[in-house]
Amino acid sequence: MAKSALFLILGLLSFPLHAQRVQAGLACTFTGTDFVYDCVVRLARGGSPLAGAQVTVGADMPSMPMAHNVKPAKAKPGARPGEYEARLDLEMTGEWAVKLRLSGPVRDQLVLHYEFDEKGARPAARPAKRK
Amino acid sequence: MDEYSIGVLTNIGLFSFLALSAYLLLIAGEMSFGQQAFFGVGAYSGGMLTAIYGVPLPFAALAAMASGALVALLVGLPTLRLRGLYFAMATLAAAEMARILFELLHFQHEIDGELVGPDGTQGFRGIRWVFERGVEPLDYLAIVYSLLVTVLAAFLLVERSRLGVTLRSVGADPELAASIGVNVNRMKLGVAAAAGALAALGGVLYAHHNTYIEPRNFDIMLGVHSLAYALIGGLGTAFGPLLGVLVDLGLLEGTRVFQGYRMIVFGGLVAVLLLFRPRGLLDERVVHWLRARFS
Repeated sequence: MAKSALFLILGLLSFPLHAQRVQAGLACTFTGTDFVYDCVVRLARGGSPLAGAQVTVGADMPSMPMAHNVKPAKAKPGARPGEYEARLDLEMTGEWAVKLRLSGPVRDQLVLHYEFDEKGARPAARPAKRK
Repeated sequence: MDEYSIGVLTNIGLFSFLALSAYLLLIAGEMSFGQQAFFGVGAYSGGMLTAIYGVPLPFAALAAMASGALVALLVGLPTLRLRGLYFAMATLAAAEMARILFELLHFQHEIDGELVGPDGTQGFRGIRWVFERGVEPLDYLAIVYSLLVTVLAAFLLVERSRLGVTLRSVGADPELAASIGVNVNRMKLGVAAAAGALAALGGVLYAHHNTYIEPRNFDIMLGVHSLAYALIGGLGTAFGPLLGVLVDLGLLEGTRVFQGYRMIVFGGLVAVLLLFRPRGLLDERVVHWLRARFS
């Protein structure tokens, strides 16, 4: 116990494990059932598809993300390398922060903002940057 | 334990810091609707220190707590002159000002070919300190709860001390407390700063758990919930706000079967609870009864 705590503290004070960042894309289609979407996650690292990762897909509402969220679903490998498929069962339409948690060859967490409605999902529009 | 359960438990721990922050002000007699602002200050300052400047998380957390305390002190100086509803409204206004300032905050640096840092309404991505150091979710849960237990122990010590008695006397009757020589203003300012530091600690831990924050994360909903935790859990002991968080998140998770209607069900349950227990589940009477029975 004390040994694990010591390793944890040393880990927190150590230098980072440098790794190339993962890029992610998302495409979701409405299933016809209220708020249920079939999603395909596309992962790439250094320009090549990232295969063999374990991916869980969750979603938070941007206000109160700790309380208003959906249970994460484990994604299955998709038709092409770097693709992963998961079903998202949201509580309502509107903007959701889709949270991709990656483990396996790379450990990371990516957050993508998408607007969900009866037509599917598209990247959420944000107000333009103030100059 | 599966990742989802770890996530829920981590969220309960993170909310507890905010709940204890609101509770601290409540026992000093002040109802703040603005503790989410200090949670946000902690999240942004701690996130910037680790993600942009590479400061180790423990030091970033200390700096974030200092920032939270300083901002709370600055907000407290003018607002603590007000009483009751006026103070509540002033804290809400201050929190909204902070949220708008987060929307205006653009401070990005290029790190490993990626722009990292707050980008106004676009949010602040890439707070990856925990991920880059290979800290597993269970380890992070242990960090959150170790800190929470430390904070709770400090609360219990203070509550049993002369300082705790003075604090409750200020909350119960500030005029009477002042008449026996208590410097009420200084005491309330100290409480506001400590509550700000506590909320900021929750914020910095939240930012590193989530890897992404945005101004909307720190809106009024968070402030209302943090106050509700203390009121639902009870004002008799520091365990009250923790019980409030458990009840809140437990109800939210337990009412998932209601899907889109679960917030209505949740709101109804909270209303019924407060109708029968206006000072919360662990109010002063229950705490007194428990102490008499078990000590």
